[in-house]
Amino acid sequence: MTPPMALTFALSPLLFLAGGAMLLMLAEAFQSKRTRNSGLALGTTAVFLGSAAFAASVWMYGLQDLGVASVAPWLVIDKFSLFFDVVLCLGGALAALLAGGYLPEHNLDRGEFYSLLLFSTFGAMMLAAAGDTLTVFLGLETMSIGAYAMTAFRRASPKSAEGALKYFLLGSFAAAILVYGFVLLYGATGHSDLAGIGAALAAGGAKSPMVVVALVLVLVGLAFKVSAVPFHMWTPDAYEGAPTPATTYMAVAVKGGGFAMMLRVLLTAFGDPRSMSWSSGWPPVVAWLAVLTMTVANLIAGRQESVKRMLAYSSIAHAGYLLVGVVVTMRVQPDATASVLFYLLAYTVSTAGAFGALILAGSFGKEAVTYEDLAGIGRRNPAVALAFSLFLLSLAGVPPTAGFFAKWFLFRSAMGGGFYALTIVAFLNSVVGAYYYLRVLVAMYMREPAAGAPVAMPMRSGYVMAALVLSAILVLALGILPTKTLDVAMQAAAAFTG
Amino acid sequence: MSTHETATHGDDGVTKFGQRELGWLAVVALVGIVAARFIDASIPVLLAAVVAAMVPRKHGWDVRAPLAVITGLLVFFVIRAWPVSSEDIDSAAAVAPESPHLLSWLIFLPIAGAVGILFLPRQSPHVLKGVTMAVMFGTLALSIPLLNVTMGRGYHFNQDVPWLASLGIRYHVAIDGITLWLVMLTVFLQPVAAWVSFGSIKMRVKDWCFALLLLEGAMIGAFLSLDLFLFYVFWEVMLIPMYVMIGVWGGSNRIKSAVKFFLYTFFGSVLMLAAILYLAYTYARISPAKLPSFDFFELSRLELPMHVQMWLFAAFALSFFIKVPMWPVHTWLPDAHTEAPTGGSIILAAVMLKMGTYGYLRFCMGLFPEAAGSQAATLAGVAVLGGIVYGALCAWKQDDVKRLIAYSSVAHLGYVMLGIFAATPSSLEGAVLQMVNHGISTGALFLLFGVLYDRRHTRQADDFGGLAKPMPVYATLFIIATLASIGLPATNGFIGEFMVITGTFVSNKLGHVNGIQAVGAAIGVILGALYMLSVVQKMFFGPITKKENEHVEDINAREMIAVAPLILMVFIIGLFPNIFLSRMKGAVARTEEAYSSRLEVNAAPRYYDGPIRLLPRQSDTTPLPADLAPASDTAADTGAAK
Repeated sequence: MTPPMALTFALSPLLFLAGGAMLLMLAEAFQSKRTRNSGLALGTTAVFLGSAAFAASVWMYGLQDLGVASVAPWLVIDKFSLFFDVVLCLGGALAALLAGGYLPEHNLDRGEFYSLLLFSTFGAMMLAAAGDTLTVFLGLETMSIGAYAMTAFRRASPKSAEGALKYFLLGSFAAAILVYGFVLLYGATGHSDLAGIGAALAAGGAKSPMVVVALVLVLVGLAFKVSAVPFHMWTPDAYEGAPTPATTYMAVAVKGGGFAMMLRVLLTAFGDPRSMSWSSGWPPVVAWLAVLTMTVANLIAGRQESVKRMLAYSSIAHAGYLLVGVVVTMRVQPDATASVLFYLLAYTVSTAGAFGALILAGSFGKEAVTYEDLAGIGRRNPAVALAFSLFLLSLAGVPPTAGFFAKWFLFRSAMGGGFYALTIVAFLNSVVGAYYYLRVLVAMYMREPAAGAPVAMPMRSGYVMAALVLSAILVLALGILPTKTLDVAMQAAAAFTG
Repeated sequence: MSTHETATHGDDGVTKFGQRELGWLAVVALVGIVAARFIDASIPVLLAAVVAAMVPRKHGWDVRAPLAVITGLLVFFVIRAWPVSSEDIDSAAAVAPESPHLLSWLIFLPIAGAVGILFLPRQSPHVLKGVTMAVMFGTLALSIPLLNVTMGRGYHFNQDVPWLASLGIRYHVAIDGITLWLVMLTVFLQPVAAWVSFGSIKMRVKDWCFALLLLEGAMIGAFLSLDLFLFYVFWEVMLIPMYVMIGVWGGSNRIKSAVKFFLYTFFGSVLMLAAILYLAYTYARISPAKLPSFDFFELSRLELPMHVQMWLFAAFALSFFIKVPMWPVHTWLPDAHTEAPTGGSIILAAVMLKMGTYGYLRFCMGLFPEAAGSQAATLAGVAVLGGIVYGALCAWKQDDVKRLIAYSSVAHLGYVMLGIFAATPSSLEGAVLQMVNHGISTGALFLLFGVLYDRRHTRQADDFGGLAKPMPVYATLFIIATLASIGLPATNGFIGEFMVITGTFVSNKLGHVNGIQAVGAAIGVILGALYMLSVVQKMFFGPITKKENEHVEDINAREMIAVAPLILMVFIIGLFPNIFLSRMKGAVARTEEAYSSRLEVNAAPRYYDGPIRLLPRQSDTTPLPADLAPASDTAADTGAAK
């Protein structure tokens, strides 16, 4: 391959997504009034899947022949970023399918949602590949601005506006803090690329107090983006206010992008022995964040009356488990990173499925919001209830589902790294988690709606059904035969260890 | 009202031989005697005919035939399963060919049936019930070959294939003399529970059938797994159907009970999972191949220093004690039992609680013998005081009959645990037998009480009284089950409790208080008689104080068919315990020797406290499959052992 060809090929997942997004924007503008938006969801899904297919083909072609050095240090196309491309596109595709059912049902059927979705995912994929603080920031903002807009998509709803405003303000602050940290790093090391920063810190720069301040600022910014406690305040409101497909997208893709950024920044820029040590580096901070995140989020989630809010807190709790994996990367590589990647994949399909089932359980004006709304749905609509149960059991970590193996790999590497106390805390938290996931099952199967109480009316939508079937297949497949996928995650994780 | 008439003229209805019955009896007996000249099976036929003739006159052949068939089959079982002498067992070189897939069939036939149920129409409950029963009988039939094998000391029907090879997770199932009876208990009781539940479960039959079949597969799988990962998977899968059973079809307070049940068990099992992970990783660190393993035999070679062992033992034991349940983590049981529907109660009491005792026997004692040995005396004290005595006293004070039976389970499983802690061959055999016994007699009690509950919809003992008059057959059966539960000689309970108590008395593993503990257990027998008989008296004898109790319908045909196998089993175990003991002897001896030998090598008070090391492989366990046994491995092992 000639160098320009190779470069194009290496960047093809990103280019395809961006090109497809622009084409769909045009298509939306030129569509006639009558057939508006009918094919947009399908088109968006196709673009996502196409981009994922490009990522897979780059992976299979092999990176060594592509001369990827020509995009470095701006974008690092390695197996890690390609793995994230697939996960993020999967999350995006599921969100697009859910939107295809949700938006028309709730009279929100405006085509720009899909463009926002695509461009935001583009930002997330860029974030996963970013090798320079500048591209990190660019990717982050591209991703976040799309997410802010999608949160505010229900223009008539004050909740939506409130959530979006909170999300926007706090997100902007977080981004500013992150940039502040990057600036200090640049000042201390003279490098803006992550690898250069890492090399400078390893050469002895890590002792400088400026670097410590920078590390703290970067950690705060990262914790905001993955909504770790105590930087999680925006999450429940934004998740609740946003239309559910946007919530799904934020819970899976934005979080996935956040973790990609976190791993890349921490392992590349702060990967030197001093910054990665228990006595003077980031691991203990992240460990405490993990403990706080898991415990607080699980306890609050148990007290929610709205299922959507419960799922929001549950996604925070899962961020806590993932943070455990991030801590473990200091000792067990590449197992720990691989288990984080696998967890993200399992979490993506389970969460998208759960939100999808929630969408399918309600219809316009009769949405499923509280536990009571779901009462007796096991009888009224067994298929939805069964799917919902499957995804919730996966989130709870019950075999034989994807969530079980995700927890298994994560806790296994934590055990292997000798983080016994942290693992026990995570284990106990998963018991608390089981409690509130079970509450949904209780409502669906064991309660009958009170006489005269409003109940959710299940809606019909081929798009949402397709998303559920796809997620269910993946949840079960990853739950029964996870080794192949774990091997892939191991290869992706090896990007950091060489 | 015909039931009323037969009830008031009681002497007409019960067991009076009319001329027609005598005629039938003569004909069938004649056929039987003639048949005796040709085939060996004449005695079952004869006894079956006797039972058919003895059935009260008002019942037709729809009752007689099933009862006769059940009798015939069980008697046939006694004759066929009659133990060969112990010399034959040890020297049995020519073993019958063992299909390596049989156990997988046992596990996955019910699970496949459960999946199949999902595709059947919800509107035709008869089809659903029929398929469920057919699958259960199919599983029962598949388990028959297990009885034809001389069990001896080792494992049989071994199937060991890689599942998730890079993680060291294998699909390893095998059966030995201990799990044989637990699996048989499961496949035997499952159709009974399903059959009786079909009488009272009217709504969501499809979901019920699904839960029943999934539960059966998972329970069999948990008993048979020798890979800790596989065991954990089945252990967790078991949880969901039972949770749904209690939560959907239970009594008025069902949701709280179901959630309590789930959270207690889940809490225990996540700690066990943590311990399993630690074991697998430790194994990977020191094994020659540097690969993790979840195989029970491999992990039991790990010799861990005492302070590590104690933590792991605590995690495993807590999980199992919650399931048993042992005091003080037993509080979920009365709630779960009280609220569960009859079928669920039977399965929960009869089979699921055995997971805890079995798990302790196999995994806690097999993996952490020193830790288990060092705590045995204390734990035996807990089993006697907290289980046997406290459970009995609690049972005595209950007004709610189902709660009473639930607390009696706490007491009975106290015996099982005591026998396991004492760890003499006799006490272990008694404990395993007592697991089966408790399944039979408590299953029968729950089943019979369910019959009454369907008629009266109350669980308070005070709401009954004088029931022996309107329901004489029912009262007789209930009292037989009660006596079995108390442990009257000639019933099954006696054998088990006797062996446990004598075994405890001679045990040397309970730190010189074994005599006191045996006495405490014996006191428990008296307490057992006290609470069971007092509730029987309250329910069945004395004057009828409540008007509703005057015309309660006696036990009907379907219920009689359900309870008959259990009642017969009470006597079969009580009279011919050797059928059961002879098959478990070898496995129990193996378990006991492995446990004792580790205790003797590193005797208290100084247990092994050196670095983690691997012991050499045991010779009498199953050989490793070819793909797991590298040639260099053995040399390294012996080196490490020195």
